[in-house]
Formats: sequence, C-alpha cells, structure tokens
Amino acid sequence: MDEEYDAIVLGTGLKECILSGMLSVSGKKVLHVDRNKYYGGESASICPLEDLFTKFNAPNPDETYGRGRDWNVDLIPKFLMANGSLVKLLIHTGVTRYLEFKSVEGSYVYKGGKISKVPVDQKEALASDLMGMFEKRRFRNFLIYVQDFQDQDPRTWKDFDPNIANMQGLYDKFGLDRNTQDFTGHALALYRDDDYLNRPAIETINRIKLYSDSLARYGKSPYLYPMYGLGELPQGFARLSAIYGGTYMLDKAIDEIVFGEGGRVIGVRSGDEVAKCKQVFCDPSYVPDRVRKKGKVVRCICLMDHPIPNTKDALSTQIIIPQKQVNRNSDIYVSLVSHTHQVAAKGWFVAMVSTTVETENPEAEIKPGLDLLGPIRQKFVSVSDYYEPTDDGINSQLFISQSYDATSHFETTCQDVLDIFKRGTGEEFDFSKIKHELGDEEQ
Amino acid sequence: MSTRSGQAQRPNGSTQGKICQFKLVLLGESAVGKSSLVLRFVKGQFHEYQESTIGAAFLTQTICLDDTTVKFEIWDTAGQERYHSLAPMYYRGAQAAIVVYDITNQDTFGRAKTWVKELQRQASPTIVIALAGNKQDLANKRMVEFEEAQTYAEENGLLFMETSAKTAMNVNDIFQAIAKKLPKNEQTAGQGSSGQGRRLAENDTGAKAAGNCCK
Repeated sequence: MDEEYDAIVLGTGLKECILSGMLSVSGKKVLHVDRNKYYGGESASICPLEDLFTKFNAPNPDETYGRGRDWNVDLIPKFLMANGSLVKLLIHTGVTRYLEFKSVEGSYVYKGGKISKVPVDQKEALASDLMGMFEKRRFRNFLIYVQDFQDQDPRTWKDFDPNIANMQGLYDKFGLDRNTQDFTGHALALYRDDDYLNRPAIETINRIKLYSDSLARYGKSPYLYPMYGLGELPQGFARLSAIYGGTYMLDKAIDEIVFGEGGRVIGVRSGDEVAKCKQVFCDPSYVPDRVRKKGKVVRCICLMDHPIPNTKDALSTQIIIPQKQVNRNSDIYVSLVSHTHQVAAKGWFVAMVSTTVETENPEAEIKPGLDLLGPIRQKFVSVSDYYEPTDDGINSQLFISQSYDATSHFETTCQDVLDIFKRGTGEEFDFSKIKHELGDEEQ
Repeated sequence: MSTRSGQAQRPNGSTQGKICQFKLVLLGESAVGKSSLVLRFVKGQFHEYQESTIGAAFLTQTICLDDTTVKFEIWDTAGQERYHSLAPMYYRGAQAAIVVYDITNQDTFGRAKTWVKELQRQASPTIVIALAGNKQDLANKRMVEFEEAQTYAEENGLLFMETSAKTAMNVNDIFQAIAKKLPKNEQTAGQGSSGQGRRLAENDTGAKAAGNCCK
C-alpha cells in the first residue's frame, strides 16, 4: 500500500467501481480499497440468504427457502433502462461481456386501487383500460407527437417551443386529463414528483423517448436486470479497472484521509501505512464530515413464494404508484425479480417496495405497495439516510458521490458518475479510448 | 456473439459437428506464470519479462476434439488475486479452472492448494480443475517434487501436468486434457456463464436467442 497513486478510490459501490474503471482506462494509476470483505458496498447483493437474515437480526431461514447460496438479494432496487446511460457505459467499456441480462417482463402503473399495464405505443394506448375512449385518442396523438419530435428540427415541434414552454403547456395542448398526465409523467417519464410540470417540456419529451427507445430494444418492458443480481455490476467495473492496472484491496480499514497544504488531499492512511495520491474518490460513508443529509429512503425487501397478483404471473415486474394516487408527494416503486435471475432459490421471488420518506412512520408509507403483493413470507424494512457532498472537490481534490436515491433505474447514478469524472479530470469521459483496444482481445 | 451458438458450416456447406463454449478461469499466486500460460496457448508467444496482467484479461481459443469444437473463454485474474480481492463473479459459471504454481517455489504450491479449496467452496460442483506446475524449464531449481504434486492431484481428483510457458511444454496438452474431460452433452455443456441471460451488444434490436450453445 505504501506507494504513490494518481487516484485512490474508497468503497466498491457501483459508482466508485465505474469511476475506478474510467480512471484506470484513462491511464491513471489507481488504488481501490474497501473496508468490507466483499464488493459492492451499498449496492451489493447479499449471498447467502443466511447473511441477509443476520443483517436484519432475524432468526435463520428454515429449509423451505432452499439453498442459501442460491440467493443474491439486492439492498437497493433498480433496473437498467435498455437504452439508458448505464447500458451505454457497459457496452462501451466492454464490461458487458462479463454479464448477462434478462428483460423485465412487465411494467405496470397503479390507478384507483388496481394496476394496469403501462401503454407505450399507439396500439397499447388504444387497448388500455387506463383511459376512456376519447382520452385514448388524445393520448395517441400525444405519443405520435413525441415519437416524431426531433430535437434539431423545429418543424416537428408543431408551433410549440419545448425549450421555453413547460410540460403542463404540452399536456394542455393535447387536452390530456389529470390521470393521463399522472401515468405519463410518472410511469413513462419516470418522475418521482410533479415539479417537472413547471419545467421546459423538452426534458419530459426526452425521458419519454428514452422509455420508448428502451422498450424498442428488447420488447416486453424497457428494463433489464442482470443475472445474479445488481451486485454483479460493481464487480464487472472493478474487473475493468483491474485489467487496466488498478490495484484492489478489500477488507482494509481506512483510518484517515490525509490533507496537505491548502486543504488538498495528499493520501490515505490505514494503520501505519500511508498511500500517497493526488486525488481521492469515495462514497459518503468514508467522509461523514463532508456530506449532508438530504432525506431518507424507505425500502422493504419481501421474500415470497409466488409472483405478484394481476401481473400475468410475470417473473419480473415493475409497478409504479404515482404520488397523487395515494395522496403523497413522491411515488412508490415496487419491483420484483425471481429465481429466473438466479437471485432466489427455485420457486422464490424477491419484491422490493421503496419510496422517499415523508412522515414519521415510513413503514406505513409503503403500505399501498405491500398491499399489491399478496402473502409475504418474510419482510425486511430499512430506512436509510440519503447524503450529498458539501465539498465539490475542486479545491480539496476529494470527490464524493451521492447516496443511491429512490429512483427505479440508474440514470441519476450515471449522471453523478460522469459529473464526478468531469470535475476530477477536467474533461468528459472519452468512450472511444477503450472500445478500440478492447476489440483486439477477441480472437 | 455470433459464434456462441449453432453449428459450424464448412465451406462446402456440410456441418462440422457441434461447438461448445466453456468459461475457464486461471488461479494461482502472483508471478507463477498464469498470463504466460494463456499467452502461449492463445497466441503462441512468450515474453521473459511479461508485465503484470494489463489490458488482456479475456481471451478465447478453440480446440478441435473429434467432432466437437471446444471454445475456451479464458479469464485471467487481472491481478485481483494479489490482495485476495477476487470477485465472486470470477468463479461464477466457470466450467474449468487451471490452478497454477511455480515448481521452484514451495509457497506457491501451498497457495495452489488453498485456491483449489476456494474453488471447491465457491465454484460449480462439476467444475473441471487442472493443476499446473509451471516453469518446468527451471527444473534444476525445483522445490516442489513432481510426485508430491501428483499425489495431491490424484487425491483431489484434479488433472495434473508440469508445464513451461517458455518452452511450450504441455501447454496445449493441459488445455486438451481439460477439453476432453468437460461434459459435452446438451444440458451441461457450453452455457457460458449462465446460459439463460443475454449479453448486450451495440446494435441489439429485437429479441435474440439466449447465449446457449450445443443446441
């Protein structure tokens, strides 16, 4: 450890592993350390099942749960958008070759106490039970407008400037009612609250496009999920970093981040050893004095021996409960994965219900989600603080990621990573740097 | 990924039998010659001062065996073994492993035994494990007796050969021996890492067949 590095990365959560990979690929000498014995930090998948029960102080699972090693349970629920930034990162870095994915089978939205399939194309819109006859036509016209919309071609904007006019204006232009606005904004554009209504419509248009482009890629739903759980993602990027010369140390306590003149980071101390470096990248847990609490997220892991009712027995599903439907300010997300993804023993399902905490009783807040699941064999509830850095790292050269938020996908995760990379290196990440070289490996 | 499945076509159009793809992982202490063995096997090269593994940790090579083409997808440790930081992903779905030690260094043999135990604990129970006593060209500095390693290998059901990446001795042979021992029936063979998911590629559109082979 007593060496000099360009960058030291602390924590092996997904964000830190992507950063580590990007830095190594850019030619930096990287040391990557985790205080835990395992990869993934907050974004690990817990294996075996016994460890999950222990983590939540529950007595060991009985034999009906099958082999403990067949389980890989995520602590944070998320899916990948098939055409989203994480998939682009995976493909461009070649990390995709270490992973296999499955499409999520169904995407549903909650309305008036029951769930309906999210309509995404004209055909589905016309068949959907979410809207009445005339509303369906209006929604169909809206979808066509979004599909034909071209950023660079004002003719497709149809006398509406989406860079200036807000989203509410666009809804009104098509005469969409409250309910339709609700599932469009929350189940297609994936907003967690209604602030977007007052922001330029272009944002929402692009988000709906991402949804439908993702859907077009593999069908069924716009979401992908990795075999063996989300914990495979940080491991894949860690391997990328290692291949490009990154040094890995797990199970290594970090006692101090050492600062020098002008409050600039100069190294990291573990016991008597000091590793020198020019920059440090880390998650909030390594620097409690340089982050602030921004909010709380409640997550409930549910182990079940059946799929979610009314989802056509889908082996993987996402259900979005738009805030207004249950008189809240933020959406509730339900996700389901199962034995088919090698994250549970045969015949088992893992559902996760999560939302941003708004009251003193977080567990009660997720009840509308839990009520959709049918009988639950075992529940594990956790409430975690959500942190953001108070130091942008420009002076200190200490770059801190934000905690994982309540969004159901990885778009904000990648945004944070690319943003940190840019702050740390002063340049955008150059994807072309690696693709070519990695191509040579294949025979 | 077009090579992952289906039957190979000969130029005249007749089929050549099946192609089976297997994930093979390398294990062993730093500097025992893991990367050198792979480079010799895949590219026929040897570098006296091979740098620590950088930039090439995913190589493929095929072997023809009777009517079957065996394609190895070879994973190198990328140095992550150095501080015992190999990820579970590394072992995941591996159907074969070569555990390497250096015959001139007794410690590396001890470590090899630990890796074998680790494989038996973490990897698939049907994994085919080969033990390679590398640097056979330095036999005059030998610290690990051939018989000792052979006895250990027999007791643990491992294939065993002494190899030299430098002279190429037994390098192809050890991969050949593994290929022979791997099951090549439909259920078990060539499932990549899981056989059920899909790998993502740049121009993916529409549904694609699962990454199975030996159909």
